[in-house]
Amino acid sequence: MQLAVNIAVLASIYALISCGYVLIYRVSRVLSLAHGELMLLGAYALYATASLFSGHPLVAIGVSALLALVVGGLVYFLLMRRMTGEAVLAAVLATIALGVLLRGAMVLVWGAQEQHPLRTLGWDNGSVAIGTARISFVSLALVAATALSYLGLWLFLRYTRWGIRMRAAGQNPLLAAQRGIGLHGIYALAWGLATFTGGMAGMLIACDSALDQTMAVIGLKAFPAALVGGLDSLAGALLGSIIVAATEVLLINYVDPLLSDVVPFVVLLAMLIVRPWGLFGTREELDRV
Amino acid sequence: MKRLMIAAALAAALPVAQQANGQDAYVVGVSAAMTGPGAGIYAPVVEAMQAYVNHVNSRGGVNGKPIRLIVQDDGAEPSKAAANAKKLLSQDKVLMLVNASLSSTYAPMVAEARRANVPLYFGGSVCPKETYPPADPLQFCSTAFGATFDSQAALAFVKNTAKEPVRLGLAAMAIPIARGEIDYAEGLSKTLGMTPVEKQITPPPTPDYTPFATKLKDANPNWMWSWSPWVSQVRTFEAMRRLGWTGRYVSWAHLNAEEELARIRDPGFYVVGTNAFFQDDLPIHAEIRAVTHRANLKYPTTYLTEGFIAGMVIESVLKATPWPATPAKTLAAMNSLKVDLKGLRGGSLEWTKDNHFRTKQYYRVWHWDAGKQAIVRVQDWQAIEVKR
Repeated sequence: MQLAVNIAVLASIYALISCGYVLIYRVSRVLSLAHGELMLLGAYALYATASLFSGHPLVAIGVSALLALVVGGLVYFLLMRRMTGEAVLAAVLATIALGVLLRGAMVLVWGAQEQHPLRTLGWDNGSVAIGTARISFVSLALVAATALSYLGLWLFLRYTRWGIRMRAAGQNPLLAAQRGIGLHGIYALAWGLATFTGGMAGMLIACDSALDQTMAVIGLKAFPAALVGGLDSLAGALLGSIIVAATEVLLINYVDPLLSDVVPFVVLLAMLIVRPWGLFGTREELDRV
Repeated sequence: MKRLMIAAALAAALPVAQQANGQDAYVVGVSAAMTGPGAGIYAPVVEAMQAYVNHVNSRGGVNGKPIRLIVQDDGAEPSKAAANAKKLLSQDKVLMLVNASLSSTYAPMVAEARRANVPLYFGGSVCPKETYPPADPLQFCSTAFGATFDSQAALAFVKNTAKEPVRLGLAAMAIPIARGEIDYAEGLSKTLGMTPVEKQITPPPTPDYTPFATKLKDANPNWMWSWSPWVSQVRTFEAMRRLGWTGRYVSWAHLNAEEELARIRDPGFYVVGTNAFFQDDLPIHAEIRAVTHRANLKYPTTYLTEGFIAGMVIESVLKATPWPATPAKTLAAMNSLKVDLKGLRGGSLEWTKDNHFRTKQYYRVWHWDAGKQAIVRVQDWQAIEVKR
């Protein structure tokens, strides 16, 4: 039972992070390699708002979530918009540069010291029993947040006007633009939503353990989950996360904990050999990459 | 007003002009992980070291000369550390190199130090075995933690404290130095009559420590020993507690241990260390507070002891280096050094020609006392002789 809970928590972490990769790629065909840093920025935003709105944790969480959304939109308008029409490689390189810049800026602003946003919010991270297993409050919140995010994104993309426009822009941007869809607004929204979900993952991981600079690397660890599922599929990201997390947890438990570091990439390599476009990805998307 | 501005500009330019002329000062070169994965451990050490050196300079320097500390960031990358060492040796003509970075940066710095025959001092980074007797002629270390001795001290504490047979769990981060130490502890525990029941090595960074903690908890240890960067030690412990584990956990007292004990507030969480806590409120602690307050450092004062000790060591070495200073004279001074640490450790720090670590290593153990709602020392200084 504990193994199942551990898999669910790790899969939720990967899924919440990897849906950001998918959203941006699906809509704008750009692979954001600054996603880990944007996730870290979200966590630092929570730490900052928790200090600013001391005694009002819900306000702090709400403001930091809103900030993540806004930052994502700003990244598009201030940087990625200028990459429109440029080679995909240029856009990817721009995200790498953004990541390096953000990492340096965060060290300058918040220093290298480990922080504990949950304590600043005034909460404790206890645990609760689920059958014979135990799960921490924050991990439980993380699983719930992931489920709600995926459900919300599915409803948004399927039933709302902006969601349908986003799908249209992803499938055929030229035709979508000719039909009067404002592509810049759509792309900014995609960046905003991706940073929002990534930022949430950062906030929850920071609350569950602690906040330090190494968290940006965790963003990269979730990347194979998105690729295994198929880079243009949210359902694929979810399934890819479950596969990677299950393999990782089972190997830790039954084989060797050291394998956990390489497992996501081993699974990714296996998938690239067998089905390079991922479980739910399309061949066409891969050709474009 | 114009004269005042010119005077102010001249005053501001003076230190720069002095610094530009390296021969007027004792020049020491530092390569440190000021950014990157290890920055949380090393940046406070270097900032405190710099603050102490500035404090010494404000009192007139050493032997009438200022100390010039040149700090280069290596981001914990070996290639950058090598480039820093080359630059510090060839351009800045430093008297000694200081390393405050990950162990992966050691080899290139050692190679450069050997090529130039300049002493290399590890101040804040883990002491390499080459500083233990019989020591490498050029490598020196003052950092609190020392492989093998720390496990000896921790397991001796467990043996003395445990009232029941010890089933020992072991945890470390997947870095060579930590893995080596925890393997050593596993072997040592058997000789002390303990039963090692599980050993978990966690890769850095890990999004969730629970899968590792689950395996440890399932092995049902009543004691745990972890020797790793703080993040790995404490997150494994916290994950085990959330899984309902009720045993006792011993870990190494890193820079942030005093602050973290007060955050964690768990009587079953012990830290073993060699640096006195600020709760002792020694005169030297007041000095550290005053110096770091003047330097306006952003780290909590409790993080700064290690950097202050490194500063005191540099001051003592240079005091014993007659002017005009050369690396050879500095090396001679380092081969016979005794630094009074004013209570920051259990005794003075001594280096000999054969021992560049210290002749005695003193350990204390602390934990959180739930009754007193305070950090309490559960073992006072215990000395371990450092011999060949």
